[in-house]
Amino acid sequence: MRGYGATLGLYEPGKGFLYRLPTAVKAAASLGCAVAVIAWRSPSTTAVALVLTVGCLLVGARLSPARLLRMLLPAAPVLGILALYQSLAQGWLRAFVVVGGITACLLAARALTLTTTTQDLLDGVVRLVRPFRSIGADPERFALAVSIMLRSIPYLAGMVVDVRQAARARGLERDPRVVVTPLVLGAVAYAHRTGEALAARGLGDEDDEDDDGP
Amino acid sequence: MQPAQQTGTGPADMGRRPARRRWNATDLSLVAVFAALIAALSILPGIPVGPLGVPITLQTLGVLLAGIVLGPARGTAAVLLYLVVGLIGLPVFSGFSGGFGVLAGPTAGYLLAFPLAALVAGLLAVGVLRRGRRFRTALLFLACLAASLLTIHPLGIAGLMVNAGLPLREAILVDAVYLPGDVIKDVLAALLAVSVHRAFPRLLAGTRSTPA
Repeated sequence: MRGYGATLGLYEPGKGFLYRLPTAVKAAASLGCAVAVIAWRSPSTTAVALVLTVGCLLVGARLSPARLLRMLLPAAPVLGILALYQSLAQGWLRAFVVVGGITACLLAARALTLTTTTQDLLDGVVRLVRPFRSIGADPERFALAVSIMLRSIPYLAGMVVDVRQAARARGLERDPRVVVTPLVLGAVAYAHRTGEALAARGLGDEDDEDDDGP
Repeated sequence: MQPAQQTGTGPADMGRRPARRRWNATDLSLVAVFAALIAALSILPGIPVGPLGVPITLQTLGVLLAGIVLGPARGTAAVLLYLVVGLIGLPVFSGFSGGFGVLAGPTAGYLLAFPLAALVAGLLAVGVLRRGRRFRTALLFLACLAASLLTIHPLGIAGLMVNAGLPLREAILVDAVYLPGDVIKDVLAALLAVSVHRAFPRLLAGTRSTPA
């Protein structure tokens, strides 16, 4: 788990038109797919969405069909149960609409994260925040918060592993309190240390606010 | 020692316009680290609980903790940060998933309910912490329970109905499976929050008016 930061993000280098498309276009298409599938629940919408997303991934990212199926593996149990339930309760057409729609959206979202680097995605969100500056949003502080968050995940995950090992050594691994208490206290302490480090470097504080202690 | 206190009258009013409304660096990093904490609790395999060792994932624990540890404003911000980072496609949701795709998935209602849950839990927790120390754990537990019953479960059921196409009765049955685990997590969140507030008494500035 300590290596999580290195593998954070789902980008895989490759070739195809999806890689060259601007992030905004891909994000809009991916979101549009979710909206379309939820708004128009019909077999034809689902079929079109499925064909489009599968086609885009096969052609635009040059994925093999086997690779495509592997991407759906984590969601397979839920989708399977849902498909079974829907076809028994409401017929196979309804099952196709529901499960096919979810599958299309998962694939569309995956197409975005597969072909866009984490950095590009984050830059895109920060750009998205910029128009809201007038109502008090601050893209720089937002970007800072995101990077602190991403930096903290490996630290916290590593801490969980350590704490769990310690709990196991004492035979207490079945007690969630023993595992989680040090994690949460450690997280708060870590946040304070990070905050002090930021303040020492003049980051994260309001410009018009002087930084004297209480 | 803790710059969090610097916000004086309370970081709870970030939504309003006064000049002091902004967070300092410690507030910012608390929000970011709690978003990371929710992510870490979501992606790690569940902890086996009880004699049967049924694993519970701790995602909702992180959400409620953000609310009752950081208060309504910073807690909600932490959950929103977690959601935004997950929605743009970083694998921080449970099962290493992420992206807009989850919005069409059966669990979308639960995810969208999380910021509200943190808000409600945070508002209730501020009230509890102001009251002093008696029954603090029990009251914080009730705050968490109320937050999850008022937000996570209704919206989760709605999500199951809209996205998974389940009728109301079935959706409620599916949702009810999570209730016992949730109660355990509410207890856990209350116990943890009491420890955290004891260790960091200034975390929710303005609520510690009665140090006993």
